[in-house]
Amino acid sequence: MFTLHGNGVGAGIAIGIARIIHRPGQEIPQYKISQKQVSHEISRLDQAFASAGAALNAIKGQLPAEGIGEAHAILDAHLLILQDPVLSQGSRELIDGQQINAEAALQQHAEKLHRTFNKIDDPYLSSKSADLAQVIDRIQGELVNDQVGLVARHEGNYEGEVIVANDLSPADAIELKRHRISAFITNLGGPVSHTAIVANSMKIPAIVGLHGGVRYLRTGDLLVIDGMRGVVLVNPDEVALEAYRRRQLKILRRTQELNLLVNAGALTLDGVEVLLNTNIELPEDIQESESQNAAGVGCYRTEFMYMNREHFPDEEEQYGIYARVLKQTSSPVIIRTLDLGSDKQVDGGRASGAIVTNPAMGRRAIRLCLHDLGLFKPQLRAIYRAAVHGNVKMMIPMISRVDELDRLFFLLEEVKQELQYQSFDFDPDLQVGGVVEVPAVAIAADLFAPRLDFLSIGTNDLIQYTLAIDRVDDEVNYLYDPLHPSVLRLIKMTIDAGNAANIPVSMCGEMAGDVGFTRVLLGLGLRDFSMDPAAVLPVKQQIRLTDISRVRPLVDMLLKTTDPEQVQSILQRINH
Amino acid sequence: MRVEKQIKITNKLGLHARAAASLVKMCTGFKSSIRLHKDEKCADSKSIMGVLMLAATQGTELTLIAEGEDAQSAAEQVEKLFEDCFGEGE
Repeated sequence: MFTLHGNGVGAGIAIGIARIIHRPGQEIPQYKISQKQVSHEISRLDQAFASAGAALNAIKGQLPAEGIGEAHAILDAHLLILQDPVLSQGSRELIDGQQINAEAALQQHAEKLHRTFNKIDDPYLSSKSADLAQVIDRIQGELVNDQVGLVARHEGNYEGEVIVANDLSPADAIELKRHRISAFITNLGGPVSHTAIVANSMKIPAIVGLHGGVRYLRTGDLLVIDGMRGVVLVNPDEVALEAYRRRQLKILRRTQELNLLVNAGALTLDGVEVLLNTNIELPEDIQESESQNAAGVGCYRTEFMYMNREHFPDEEEQYGIYARVLKQTSSPVIIRTLDLGSDKQVDGGRASGAIVTNPAMGRRAIRLCLHDLGLFKPQLRAIYRAAVHGNVKMMIPMISRVDELDRLFFLLEEVKQELQYQSFDFDPDLQVGGVVEVPAVAIAADLFAPRLDFLSIGTNDLIQYTLAIDRVDDEVNYLYDPLHPSVLRLIKMTIDAGNAANIPVSMCGEMAGDVGFTRVLLGLGLRDFSMDPAAVLPVKQQIRLTDISRVRPLVDMLLKTTDPEQVQSILQRINH
Repeated sequence: MRVEKQIKITNKLGLHARAAASLVKMCTGFKSSIRLHKDEKCADSKSIMGVLMLAATQGTELTLIAEGEDAQSAAEQVEKLFEDCFGEGE
């Protein structure tokens, strides 16, 4: 038995037989050819490029129609790389100039391109090298007369097996998905690599970045994949295997136990009913939300429609997408208007020649939308029109001033009048709420609440603004503390102001989906949570085990302490 | 017609594969030749390999030179794509 270590990117544990589907640099035939054979080799190369392109296009065709996913964009980039004359022309010249076979020419040319990439000292950009390698790999595959990708080249059934590879491209992963593999591990790939993204989307344990570790493995080895810790156990002894089987079983039982709660009510021990909503991003997420039997959608993030594309979606496209989501549910759906643009206020920065380094406080969300009505109005019109197909509310991110609401409501009236005038079917009585994420709004929540139909606390930004911590800055993110009394007080002030104004207050930040905080939030008075669909059942279980009257005095103590040890001991008592 | 513009890369990931793909796709739609210059390096912005090998990271200053009948609109649209950070949101 021995272990290998890498970056775990999927959760859970898998136990299965290794299936090695590729070895780097192996089996690329290299030989000299005669002058007569040059044209034949060149046509073999061209044929391989063409079939690789056709294969990538076919895989792209298997993806869902809305090309908003990462995989779609990556496949597009791969297709462009494949079609770039720089790649084919350079290889052709080598066949002719050095009189070598197509495989060897392609390999030599690729190595030269890789050397250029590897000079680039930037982790994001040097990962392009992996994109190039995956494309080359596919063409090499075609050259050795395999008609399809890396995975399908190996005949047989992979169900339950652990796929071991140097690297997997998004295209490989889509093919693998059909095989119902239990895990995969690769030499390449870091936390920001495409391979990592793929692992997440497949929802199976995976370990990437084994840095050559894969060469110690053989097909048929028994592997234990611990996705959470990033560890591979190779041919484990009985004791280790048994321990992992027990852990795997525990995770399975936990899942089954949670699944029993799907139809159970979200009631506390002292009989308080809590609403559990979901945060969704893609239209298809609504099915997961429905399957968890959530009360509704507490935050439908719309910015994903705007990403990875050249032109923003127009009113009709947005209307179509919203309507499709709404037709799949009878529960309320809160659509959050565009929260994009943390990098879009670069105008000022560009004029001064500086990159804006603090985009979270820049012209984003409602600030950007009120600035660019050409961007905002089509969304507002689409939401009003789609609202006739379901129970819709609209939520505005990043508000910080009451006069922003004045401008917003003025604009909404204008939109409604235009729709009326143009005889569109729409819902004029749509409720409008605001996201409480700027501390100013939480502090003066009593001034905002009467102007809105509901409030939703966005804890991620509220915490970052309150504590002046850039969440993406590794140097300071240890200071990010949801239990800081100032944060808890702002949450409580917002809930209290909502109650006083008799409007609902929900929470849609990460904190709402973290079972470690469920009781704290209940103690602060929160009764409406919105979270990732996967968090609904664990949070529901926690709610069902909570006695709010016991927790409340402990939460009051949390509001008054800054001593980390004391905070931890109170939290332990709360979650006991 | 020849149009020249200074462009700065503002998105965090720089001109990575996906961003380069949107750039190349946009540029191939124009008749004009469109080149990107970075220091002594120069890339045809209709070639993804060329664009990737420019190694343009966040903060890089590029000179865009478009030549041809639709150079003006090409330069403007490419500039806008950069300003919009390729629609990535970061």
